[in-house]
Amino acid sequence: MSEHHAHGTEPSSIELLPIELLPIDTAQASSDFVDEWRNAAYNCYSSGHKFCREVCPVMQVTRNETWTPTAFHANVVAMDKGELDIADIAEDYVNCTQCGACELRCPNTLMLGDFYRFRTRTVDLVKAVRTLAVDTGIHQPQWKTWNELTDARSHEPVLGEQPVGQDSVREWADGLDIPIGGDDILFVDCEAAFYRTSVPRAVAQILQMAGHEFGLMQEQWCCGGPAAEMGYRDQAMRFARHNLDNWKASGAKRILVLDPHDYISFTEDYPKYFGAEFDLEIVLVLEVVAEYIRSGALTPRVAIEKTITYHDPCRLNKRKGVWKEPREILRSIPGLTFNDVDHVTQWSYCSGGGGGLAIEKPELTALISGARIKKASELSVDTLVSACPWSERPLSAAGEPENIDVVDIHEMLAESLGITVGGSRGAR
Amino acid sequence: MTSFRYQDEYTTPPARQITPTTIERFEHVFEVDPSLMTDNVAQQVFPNWDTKRIVAARWDHLAWIHTHFADSVISGEELLRSLDD
Repeated sequence: MSEHHAHGTEPSSIELLPIELLPIDTAQASSDFVDEWRNAAYNCYSSGHKFCREVCPVMQVTRNETWTPTAFHANVVAMDKGELDIADIAEDYVNCTQCGACELRCPNTLMLGDFYRFRTRTVDLVKAVRTLAVDTGIHQPQWKTWNELTDARSHEPVLGEQPVGQDSVREWADGLDIPIGGDDILFVDCEAAFYRTSVPRAVAQILQMAGHEFGLMQEQWCCGGPAAEMGYRDQAMRFARHNLDNWKASGAKRILVLDPHDYISFTEDYPKYFGAEFDLEIVLVLEVVAEYIRSGALTPRVAIEKTITYHDPCRLNKRKGVWKEPREILRSIPGLTFNDVDHVTQWSYCSGGGGGLAIEKPELTALISGARIKKASELSVDTLVSACPWSERPLSAAGEPENIDVVDIHEMLAESLGITVGGSRGAR
Repeated sequence: MTSFRYQDEYTTPPARQITPTTIERFEHVFEVDPSLMTDNVAQQVFPNWDTKRIVAARWDHLAWIHTHFADSVISGEELLRSLDD
């Protein structure tokens, strides 16, 4: 249990009261929440195998039992029994990157999920608790500011005080002659569009080299995924509605996605928001590019003399099962010495950058990314390749003192294709 | 290459009854008959990709276990014989 009142949040007037004595909105919202999650919580609570603990990146670096996936489910049981309410536990649920390791490694998923059509859903539970907190007026200070700024600017404030907004969301594409609209739309996440602009520039030029026709959105907003992850679901849905309407208005048929976090938003959140109305095709750029290499439409020829390892982004590897294509791409690049770590071992790896953790608790993100870089360091590599822009900032910071460079897979492939990428890798 | 389309992912393939308690929607992927899943465990909405992801991850994990912990592979017959000895 957290002591939220010691950290400046203000739900104290409603804490420690039985559900029936809480203000009506909070009581109803809490009751609805418990009704939705009771079954899942008891099925976790009664299992007790706890394989989730050691694959959890937060648990690995904190050993804090109140921040385990098991505790996250047990709290629901306690809420059901009237022992806890949302004010008691909201702050604990900050401590999750939503990497999905716990729910994949849980035997209820890995061994039985498909058989019972029932699996552990810690990520959804964490999102639901955070949503309940926000809906009942309990905010984490950094998340509140972040989402207010996102709402005001239609993009996440990834550059801090430096403004981001609609007038600059396509600046990364300067000089690349990319049209607006078309059947295929390239969606670029906020971190890549404003901070690591070398990633979308690499992606765009790779696709152009392969002859893939695509355009940009007329008016792109943030995907809304981070807001959903932090509990600001209404805001997330408003952003999603804008993007879907914009795609439909321009006649888009296919959305090309370069960021794993966007891929989650578009294949998991948007279908829940819109149902069958969400009738666009969502394609991961990594898979498109791997296919172009297989077919011979792209052939990396420029040797890159580096010793690398690959960081499996959580949202691709654990949450989507995408791990072959990145390795296929890297093995097609001449000159590389590739010290790979298999994708199952990497179920317990994480950059610490996901789920809003880096915004509310950057010190915890730094511990997790430091642990990830240490594993790379033990392989005697000079470069860690990732495929997720959101992992690349914390990993770069952790890699600097270890002399490990962090490169995006699209940047590296573009270089091997002889493309001068341009843009920024985040240095400001 | 895989891609996501709502209709493809949320249209469940028809079930084939395998045993009185088991059905099959995807080849070699067996599911408990949904009629038995009403009391203690509430079934969830599964997009098709998620079922396939879990099955693939299980095989990957079993292979990983073999790679990391199995010194030798013995047949079921050998295992049974060792119990008799």
